[in-house]
Order: sequence, then structure tokens, then C-alpha cells
Amino acid sequence: MYRLAFAAPAAIIVALVAVVASLAIGAQEIPPADVWAAFVDYDPANASHQIVRDLRVDRTVIGIAAGAALAVAGALTQSLTRNPLADPGLLGLNAGAALAIVLGTVVAGVGSFAPQILLAFMGAAVAGLVAYGVGATGAGAAAPARLVLAGAAVTALLTAVTSAIVVAQPFALNQLRFWLAGSLTGRAGVPTGPLVVGIGLTILVALLAVRPLSAIALGDDAAASLGTRAGLTRVHVLVTVIALAGVATALAGPIAFVGLAVPHLVRALVGPRIGWLLVLSIPFGAAVVLLCDVAGRIVARPGEISVGVTTALLGGILLALLARRMRAVAP
Amino acid sequence: MTLARPARVSLVLAAITLAAVVVALTYGQTALPWWDSLQSATGFTTDSPADFIVGQLRAPRTYTATLVGALLACSGALLQSVARNPLASPDILGVTQGAAAAAVASMWAFGNTSSLALAPAAIAGALLTSALIVGVGWSRGIQPMRLIVAGIGIGFVASSVTTYLLTAVPEHLAPQAYLWTIGSTNARVWEHVTLAAIAVAVTVPLALWLERKLRVVEMGDDLAAGLGVRPVRLRLAAIALGALAAGLAAALTGPIGFVALVAPAIARRLVRTEGIALVPSIITGAALTAVADLAARELFSPTQVPIGLFTAAIGAPYLLYLLHRAKGIRS
Repeated sequence: MYRLAFAAPAAIIVALVAVVASLAIGAQEIPPADVWAAFVDYDPANASHQIVRDLRVDRTVIGIAAGAALAVAGALTQSLTRNPLADPGLLGLNAGAALAIVLGTVVAGVGSFAPQILLAFMGAAVAGLVAYGVGATGAGAAAPARLVLAGAAVTALLTAVTSAIVVAQPFALNQLRFWLAGSLTGRAGVPTGPLVVGIGLTILVALLAVRPLSAIALGDDAAASLGTRAGLTRVHVLVTVIALAGVATALAGPIAFVGLAVPHLVRALVGPRIGWLLVLSIPFGAAVVLLCDVAGRIVARPGEISVGVTTALLGGILLALLARRMRAVAP
Repeated sequence: MTLARPARVSLVLAAITLAAVVVALTYGQTALPWWDSLQSATGFTTDSPADFIVGQLRAPRTYTATLVGALLACSGALLQSVARNPLASPDILGVTQGAAAAAVASMWAFGNTSSLALAPAAIAGALLTSALIVGVGWSRGIQPMRLIVAGIGIGFVASSVTTYLLTAVPEHLAPQAYLWTIGSTNARVWEHVTLAAIAVAVTVPLALWLERKLRVVEMGDDLAAGLGVRPVRLRLAAIALGALAAGLAAALTGPIGFVALVAPAIARRLVRTEGIALVPSIITGAALTAVADLAARELFSPTQVPIGLFTAAIGAPYLLYLLHRAKGIRS
């Protein structure tokens, strides 16, 4: 319990620091006093105030929502598959959502956001079910690697189709180029507000799965004797994961590895209890995405590095290190 | 007079490859007398439109695609033999992505786009990546699954560099740069063919020289040591040569996926062997990319589709099938 007493405040402090950094630091140097004034003493004529109030607030909100969504989705996926390497991005859900949105944009010029969200759900669902169906079935020590490989195959195919489309449609590419790399700048025609609310509600629905998930962790028979219906719980979790990955991708593009890394971080802090894992994934997920985004703004001044690039860079290193720690599999 | 099975398989495959190349040279949007086409394709002047259409457009890309297929298959066969696992290939282990990232970085830094200028960077990228994979994934001998998951992680790191550069190039270059995420045989010239021919002439004889020793090592390290083969040195040499072949292929066309994975598998099945079958693998790879290039050129004509889309469309389902068949995972 003492670890929890440390971890919960730490999570909130880290998330707050990340939010402040995301509001205060950017390509444009704005003194902290001006950032503060933009909120308490807003002057519409002041360009600095406009940047903070319009651009940075939006970007920070998208970062919080996408980060929390991806981290919770990763925690759910890892708990459900009992696989430490599971992550919606690695499994191809984000790539599926991205492909569906690109297809919609090119074929039908989907500018409005309702069709986009539906497309993102469908893309994430198809990709996720294929990877899960191939990779999550079967037990044994090779299972974690198998899931990663199945996800890599699905991701490679979907990314190839996406690349082929945007190469053939330069117009679409220039609209989608930064979003495809994973970025928090938002897009025209995709309102932030409703999506963020949607993510919040979906996370609440996800938290309802804590008890049955903990029961399933004991095995399906034990879960049944506790009154948990394993099949229903799996559907509940899968639908939630697909919704979270789909909306996060529609908002911020395909961002990988947040769902892999954050649950590992949280487990290292508070141990394996699923309830705390999901709850603490919210602030830590937001913090990781915001800090990666801020780092990308600082390193590449006056340009910036998209947040998806930074997470893939750090996440790839993490995956390689996790592989190194993988139990030696008996031949 | 009966030939051994590998020789018969190789002859049949070579005939298929030759047929695919002839079709690719003589068939197209512009109907030409096939005799003119074949003359132009082999360097004779016919004083007809075929001189340009076949001699300058069809022939270079067909030959480049075919030779790159041979290089990729050579790389895949070597790596699969070393890892003792049908899932090892330069594109899954991240070697291809490392080569592509280095090539794009050199393009971005020096503004050169010719394969000849990119080749050193691509080869360096491939060798550096393979060294990283060995460094991370190699502890207490080779654990195939650990190696593969480490490779996927390192591949993500390399891809993130490419993705960043895609957002950093000017808008009008973006579609061109995007081909570096998928692999393309469009707009190849004779310079590519020359480089590809040199690459095959260097790597394939070396691989054939290693093949005999690899066969011995496949039977077990103790036996190999008894026969005077040093297993560890041989594996490192095979990995380096596999990386070299993959790097050269990436310099010529960008990262064409899945050929290196699938071609050796098809060849092994045809030859009915569990071990390395280098010559049949190489010819299978050539046949695959010759056919995929023809499809990329003509299937959606006049739109030119990147060849990587077709290899992914064949390769990704095959990989998923391999994973689904748990037997395919010898961990």
C-alpha cells in the first residue's frame, strides 16, 4: 500500500508538470508570465496570448485525451491477453483506423467527423480482430512474441496500403502528412470537444471491467465460480479497446507504444493490481504523450518532431529491451 | 539421367522467372511487336518506339525488380538459417528499415537521390542495424523469438527516423519520399540495373560459399566444431552478408517487404527440406518480384502502384498463416 501512497500523488504531479510544460513550451518562445496572463488576464489583441489560448490549449487537451486513451487501451489489452507485449498500436489497431480514415478521405472526401469516427472504429476492429485471432490464441512461452509478430504483419500490410494511397494522391498526403506521423495539432473537420468527452466516457466504461478482469486473471473456471462471464468480459474489453484506439487515432493519428510502455511503468510503481493499473494509466498516459510532444518541440526548433515519431523511437528501444528480458524459451 | 530435386526445382523456377520477365517486357499499355520489344530490351536498336518504351522504361525496372528479388531472397535464406526460424527476415528484423532510414537521411542531408549515391548509406544502415540486433538479441546463444522481437523494436526505431524525415521534407517532395516507406520500382534506369547486377554478382557467390558450412551448422554446433566449422563466426558472417544484401536491395528500390520472408519458405517447401536452400530461394525471389512488378505496373494502370503493396498483400497473409499454424513457431 505504501507504494500506492507514493504513486498516486506522483502520477498527478507528473501529469500536472506535463500539462504546464505543454502550455509553456513551444516553437514560439513565450515567457511564463505571458502564459499565465493568457489565462488570468486574457488580451485578444496579444499574439502570444492567442497562441497559448488557441493552439497550445487545444494541443494539450488532445494530448491528454489521446495519451489516456492509448494507455488505458494498452493496460486493458495486456490484462486481457495476459501478454506483456500487447499494445493497440503494435497489434495494428491504430494502423487499421488510420487506413480507414485515409480511405474515407480519398474516396469520399470525408471531412465531417461522424463518418470518420465510424471508419476509425471499423478499421481498428478489423485489424484488431485479425491480430488477436491469430496471435492471442494458443498458449506457451512463445505467445507474447507471436502476438507481436501477428500485429507486425497486420500493421505492415495496412501501412503498405496507406502508403500506396497517399503516394497516388499527393493532395490527400499533404492534408494528412503530419497526422499520419502522429501529432497533437488536430485537423480541420475533426472537432476536439466531442471526441475528448467520448474518450472520457469510454474510459469510465472500461473501468467497469476491473472486477471481471481480475476474476478472469484467476482462470476462466475460477471466474465462473465467482459469477463472472468470461466471454462477455472479453467482448466488453475488446469493444472498449477498439473504441479507445479508434478515437485516439482519429484525433492524433497512429501513435504506437504508449499502450505498451505506460502499463509497464505503472506496474513497476504499484504492482500488478488491475484496478490501479487502469486508473493510474490515465495520468501517466497523458503525461508520457505530452512530455514526448514537448521534447519534440524543443529538440527540433524551429521545426518540431511529431509525437508519434518520439513515441516510436522510445517505444522501439523499450521493446528491444523487453525482448532481452524475455524468458528463454525452451526449444 | 535424373537431376536432384533442388536442381529440378531451380530449373522450373528459372523458367517461370524467364517467362515472367518476357511477359513484363513485351506486354504493356502500348502494344508493340514482341520481337522489337525483346531486341530493345537486350540492348539492340530497332529504330521503333520500342527503343524508348521498352529500352528506357520497361526493361530497366523489370531487370531491377528481378535482381532485387534475388538479393532479398538471398538475405532471407541466410538469416532464416542462422536464426533457425522461418520468421527471420531482414524486414521483420528491422534491417531493411535501418537501411531505408539511412538512405532517406543521406537524401535529406546531401540532396542526392541516385541509388549509386545512396548505396553506401543504405549498406551502412543495414550493417549498423544488424549489429544492434545481434548486440541486443544475442545472449547465451541465439534465441530466435528474442532476436525477432528485439528486431521489431529496432525496426520501429529506424522507421521513426524515416517518418520524421517524411514530415521534414518540403511538400512537393513528400510523395516521392513516401515511397521509402513501401518500396518502389517506378522510374528505374540502367544505372540501377548495373548496380543490381554487381550486387548480385558479389553477394550470391559469397552466400553459396557460406551455404555449405551453414548446412553443417544446422545439424548442430558440436558436429560442426568437429568438422572444423566455427559456428559463432559463421553466424556473424552470414548475418553480415544478409544485411549487406538487404542494404543493397533497399538502396535500389526502397524497403520492399515480405519477399525475403516468403521466397525461402516457398523454396524450402518445393525442395522438401528443412534447411537452407539458397539457389531455389534466390530464383523464387526473382520470380516473385518480377510478377509483383508487372502487377504494380499494369494492374491499376495508368496509376502506378508501389510494388511493396503487392508483396505485402501476398506476404502478410502468409506470415499470419505461419503464426496461426503453431508448428511454424519452433521457439
